[in-house]
Amino acid sequence: MNIVSAIILTAALLMIIAGMFCLVRTYNLIRIIIAIEIAMKAITLLLVFAGAVNGNMALSQTFVITMIVIEVIVAVVAAGIAISLYHKNGNVDIRELTNLKG
Amino acid sequence: MITFATISFLGLPLLAILLLNVVSKKTGGAISISVGYVVAIIQMIAAVVCMALLWMHGKDFIEFSLFWDMNATLGAAKLSVDLFSLVVLFCIGMVSLASLLTAKKTIGEKTLNYTNLLMVIMLGMNGIAVVTDLFSLYVFLEITGIASFVLIALLNDKRGLEGAFKYLVMSAIASALILGSFALIFTQTGSLVYGDVAKALADWRNAQYAPLLIVGFVMFIAGFSIKAGIAPFHGWLPDAYQSAPASVSVLLGGIVTKMAGVYALIRVLNSVFVAMPMINNTLLILGLISIVFGAVAACGQKDFKRILAYSSISQIGYIILGVASGSLLGFVGAMLHFFNHATFKTTLFVNSAAVEMQTGTTDIDQLGGLQARMPVTAVSSILAFLSMAGIPPLAGFWSKLLIIIAVWQSVSAVGGGIALAASIFTAAYFLILQRKVFFGPLEDHLTEVTEAKGTISLAAVLLSIVTVAFGVLFPVILNFLHLQGIL
Repeated sequence: MNIVSAIILTAALLMIIAGMFCLVRTYNLIRIIIAIEIAMKAITLLLVFAGAVNGNMALSQTFVITMIVIEVIVAVVAAGIAISLYHKNGNVDIRELTNLKG
Repeated sequence: MITFATISFLGLPLLAILLLNVVSKKTGGAISISVGYVVAIIQMIAAVVCMALLWMHGKDFIEFSLFWDMNATLGAAKLSVDLFSLVVLFCIGMVSLASLLTAKKTIGEKTLNYTNLLMVIMLGMNGIAVVTDLFSLYVFLEITGIASFVLIALLNDKRGLEGAFKYLVMSAIASALILGSFALIFTQTGSLVYGDVAKALADWRNAQYAPLLIVGFVMFIAGFSIKAGIAPFHGWLPDAYQSAPASVSVLLGGIVTKMAGVYALIRVLNSVFVAMPMINNTLLILGLISIVFGAVAACGQKDFKRILAYSSISQIGYIILGVASGSLLGFVGAMLHFFNHATFKTTLFVNSAAVEMQTGTTDIDQLGGLQARMPVTAVSSILAFLSMAGIPPLAGFWSKLLIIIAVWQSVSAVGGGIALAASIFTAAYFLILQRKVFFGPLEDHLTEVTEAKGTISLAAVLLSIVTVAFGVLFPVILNFLHLQGIL
């Protein structure tokens, strides 16, 4: 394993950890969406890394572009739900989301 | 004939989406429901036709493509159907039909939006059933996921939005894990087509990045376990099921999580991770935890839909257990349990929709003695419950039997024993449910309640007929299995 792949893998790992840490620590709906996006960006990096290692860069690029598109749609839907929740609750705190229990 | 049947799986929902966006919003409601019926029924017919053709030609699978020539270049994308995917395609048609029949009475002015999203979700699920590479699998998983978030939040109420957001966050984490595992596997294989990946992974212990592959396998199991709602990863599932509108609960509980989680997991497991005992063992343990946890947790619930959600966790455990046993018998059992679960869980969710529509609540403490007022709902729910608890001769008994025999034979008697014992809990929580909702004296404020008329009762009756008929005719299938030397 050469130094470049080591750096990329470390960066990806750090980004995933950052995203998950943010997800666990925050109570804000918008920050949760950002946390998910950070984790997904790490995966994008991993896919590019995979393409570089195995030489099939074309497939990797296709995958990454498709993934970015899908990710944007997920972020839009998430933001839409967050906005509706803001209108219902008056804030974006996930501690307010306690209607469903059991 | 065969071209039409196979293309209809992806082409028909696409066509329906185009059609439904032409009609005006005012008049579109009734038309859209009819279009939905047609699509669902044609899909069921096409699945049966393809099964007959497979059997007639003695083939294991049919390969096809949609708008491109799959033989034009080497490595062009292919779609393929085999017996398992045809069974699940039939289930998708059946559950979608039940969901539409429920929606006709319950969804109100959002009918057009609902049907549009239903077509999107059908497209996604059919895609998961027919794809042959990991890339397309991910795309269709996300289509299914996104459509279901919007469907849960369709009525724009507080609970729906909350359930949808929880599902969305968990599903996004699952997607990240699944995609990460695909990336790490792709590092080693250089291809994403199932067959090529399986070949490249056959010798993975000597691979350059073997430690990364192990991380990939772990991420794969965790990601699909979240999508499927297997026990330690199940947090979002009861919330999503409970908060969704009635007809969307039918869809989610009947088929969506099973397609996005269980079917995709089984498909990748069987065609990519061939002969990797460690993954099978992990899934075996997860399956057993899921069975026991789901059943025990369901006993303490107070909401009709929430009990059904926890029982879904438990039943999905059985499907996973059958597959994880690694034998052909276990796989057949899992496939049949997949079908059975789609039937009886859909029946029960249709019943919960009927109860909710007529009484305005799904809290079981406020219900009681509905048997006299809603006979069709009560009888069909009892049939579905008996099938789920594994009472012969109903369908659920046979598939559970096959799974437990498979685990007993090929893994350990302990696993089979635990699965068998957990069946008693299934009976326990459903007896609680039946007693509180349908049996006993009629509550005072429920004396005016009447049977849910029209399409909801129709859906419950049709699904009950399937449950009973499949159970009674099951010896034919057993005989077939015996002739094939599986049993």
